[in-house]
Amino acid sequence: MKNFYLTLLLVIAAAIVSYGFIGAQQSQEGDKHPDVDWNLSCQECHSEMTPDIYKDWEMSKHGEVDFGCYICHGDGQETFYSKGSDERCAGCHAAQLVEFEKTKFESCYDCHNGHTLKFHNE
Amino acid sequence: MSLSRRDFLRASALSAAATTLGIGSIFGNDAFAKAKIDKTDFMQDSKGVQWHKSVCRFCGVGCGVMLGVKDGKPVGIRGDKENTVNSGLLCVKAFYLHQMITAKNRLLYPMIRKNGKLTRATWDEALDLVASKFSEIRDKYGPDALAFYGSGQAETEETYVANKLFKGHIGTNNVEGNPRLCMASAVGGYVSTFGADEPIGTYDDIEKCDLFFIVGSNTAEAHPVLYDRIAQRKRQNPNVKIVIVDPRKTPTNKIADLHLQVIPGYDLAIINAIAKILIDENMIDEKFIEESVNFSNGSEAITFDDYKKFLEKYTPEYAAKQCGVKAEDIVKAARLFGQTPRVMSMWCMGVNQRVAGVFLNNLIHNLHLLTGKLGKDGCDSFSLTGQPNACGGVREGGGLCHLLPGHRVVANEQHRKEIAELWNVPPEKIQPKPGKHTVAMFEALGTGDIKGIYILCTNPAQSIPNLSKYLKGMEDAFMVVAESFHPSETSQVADVVLPAAFWGEKEGVYGCTERRSQHMAQALKPSGEARWDGFILADIAKRMGYAENFEQFTSVEAVWSEYIKCTKGKDMDLTGATFSRLKKVRGLRWPVPSEDHPGTTHRFTEGDPYFPKDKAAGRRMYFYAKPDGKAVIFARPDKGPEEPTSAEYPIALTTGRIMEQWHTMTMTGQIPELVRAAPNPYVEINPEDAKQWGVKTRDKVRIVTKRGSLIVEAKVVDRPRKGTIFVPWHWPESLTNILTIDAVDPGSKEPEYKVAACRVEKV
Repeated sequence: MKNFYLTLLLVIAAAIVSYGFIGAQQSQEGDKHPDVDWNLSCQECHSEMTPDIYKDWEMSKHGEVDFGCYICHGDGQETFYSKGSDERCAGCHAAQLVEFEKTKFESCYDCHNGHTLKFHNE
Repeated sequence: MSLSRRDFLRASALSAAATTLGIGSIFGNDAFAKAKIDKTDFMQDSKGVQWHKSVCRFCGVGCGVMLGVKDGKPVGIRGDKENTVNSGLLCVKAFYLHQMITAKNRLLYPMIRKNGKLTRATWDEALDLVASKFSEIRDKYGPDALAFYGSGQAETEETYVANKLFKGHIGTNNVEGNPRLCMASAVGGYVSTFGADEPIGTYDDIEKCDLFFIVGSNTAEAHPVLYDRIAQRKRQNPNVKIVIVDPRKTPTNKIADLHLQVIPGYDLAIINAIAKILIDENMIDEKFIEESVNFSNGSEAITFDDYKKFLEKYTPEYAAKQCGVKAEDIVKAARLFGQTPRVMSMWCMGVNQRVAGVFLNNLIHNLHLLTGKLGKDGCDSFSLTGQPNACGGVREGGGLCHLLPGHRVVANEQHRKEIAELWNVPPEKIQPKPGKHTVAMFEALGTGDIKGIYILCTNPAQSIPNLSKYLKGMEDAFMVVAESFHPSETSQVADVVLPAAFWGEKEGVYGCTERRSQHMAQALKPSGEARWDGFILADIAKRMGYAENFEQFTSVEAVWSEYIKCTKGKDMDLTGATFSRLKKVRGLRWPVPSEDHPGTTHRFTEGDPYFPKDKAAGRRMYFYAKPDGKAVIFARPDKGPEEPTSAEYPIALTTGRIMEQWHTMTMTGQIPELVRAAPNPYVEINPEDAKQWGVKTRDKVRIVTKRGSLIVEAKVVDRPRKGTIFVPWHWPESLTNILTIDAVDPGSKEPEYKVAACRVEKV
């Protein structure tokens, strides 16, 4: 029985993680960032709290030019998007617009990893 | 003409393919413009959003942006992929530009100070008050009791109307703008060395350059899109080298091969030492020097041998001692400069905002003149501009106290005559004597010599150095502020506040760093009762009795058309950049003397329409703004800061910017995302200093200079060199300029924001 619950938990966790990738195309209504010390910048906090994600970002093109978390995720208080959105990508990357209806993909994030931004995780 | 999304994407693909294949220059901006935007300056997508062609409102790079509007509201922003400046890429500030149009602090109606309080007024009340008060001051105390203080963010047309009103009609040369605080030393450098302001090359040189020599510029944060172009050049060509001279390690260091981390204010010796090594190791272009260069010590002509003698003192060891860097690094930098065929120098406020700003500009130019690395692909001595229209509006438009439109000066009788004729005023109406430069202007507000001032699109009550000294003068004078946002530190002490149309709500022209003038479309109606600054100024002119020469300004185009007449036949000829043409293209780089001229990529050489082949007689470059066509190498001694560190103030204070904020935060401070990047004011402290002072990140420290003190949060980080602190100046609640010194460069009159002496106390 214990194994059943453990398996169920793992399946639910996997579903959540996989949603994190598959459902990354649009921001979710009602996203809420945990209440934290808002005197800190995203980077100050996340370099300690989520060091792997921070490192992925730091090594990415966005990290290279110091375009911070807020660009995709909002400021955390007034605006917060747990996932990025294609519309936000398009603002700065107008030269890379894609007609998704002509492809088998639905979102920039189908090909670009969310934090490293690498193409097909290459 | 509206295009379907399909057309839009097809054209983008063409553009992208052209860029990838490196054939963008074959098509040129015109070809793309014709394909995309014909009679109008917008396109409509399938969702009914109209995308209007414009230019970014922030730094001097001049990125093309498209402002999305639906149902009369701004709904989005995109990089303009057809604009070769940025090829669609935007930085973080531009990304939120459309949101600033509807920011909560937009000023929506005129206000007049009544019983000490700013109170809503009608336009007629406000403009009548301004006109009558200005007329009264002019009549009672003379025209020089009035002043105009403008901005490198104002459109060229706005500055032009102000210049015409104040210099040509009121009759005072007290016309200044905040480019005095950022670019005046670059102007001084270009004019003294080459005879004419602004760079010789363009951004096109970036993709052909093999060595970037970056001095006093945090390009990554201050000019992110340009930085991306440099980084991309290096990514694609790993042999490309980047040398940085700066007191701080900045994000630009991520791409640096060599960093000379100098003591603030002591970098002149390095540049002279590099010049010496170039000569000693025979890395100079003797033919170019012979043909195109004169030598001067600043007061008289000298010989090449005199110059060599002057340089004798500047051994790498001497410079290393002066500047606090390793001698071998100076040699490395010099050899890279001398041995790399294509070199671009780039610099910004770290060079300009210095009491030796003009000297340092001259010294950088010297390196290019010694090596002939100028006026050809991949080479230039290229000053980076801070504001989007400091070049176009203020430097070219003549919006400083010694200038007239079209690279003219008030001291030149012929120049005064030419402009007076265009303005339809007697030549004697324009005074031959320059007016008060910015610091002197604000000083005169304090002494009462200037009694009335019109401030447009800038916030001096936060941005003037040694601020405490000047605040009372601003409060005492009759001060009119035309702004899109309120309150700012300045608008809240004004007597009259006039709501100005913001970017996107007005059309006009910006001229960026690379001599490119670009049209910005009006996509929206002005918010509230806001009006275009040019109309506001013309209205005041009419109410002051100058209607005859301002009533023709019924459109922005009418102003631009009059302005470009001032440029005809000048080195910065914009005659071919008519309003209708600018609406279609992604800017034109002057000189552009006729409507069929494509613009100029390199000045003073073949391809420049004013290059005099006959006079040049075989020379590759002819600096036609100099009497004999020769540029000048200046023997400029090393000169330290006005306020060196001392026993009482042992730490060097340097100030500057962060990427996410713009100047005094009236715009970017309204965007929560940008605020999140750095929520509070702070000071960067080197870890060794912090350890010695017992200070940790987020501790409060007091910074004390001779002029004032400020308590801010410490950020311990290996960025400033030991013995130096860095304080960004954006936050209005923490006025950094209380600390800065108001000493100015004797030539350019630009203040030394970059160096002061301070001490730091843990609170």
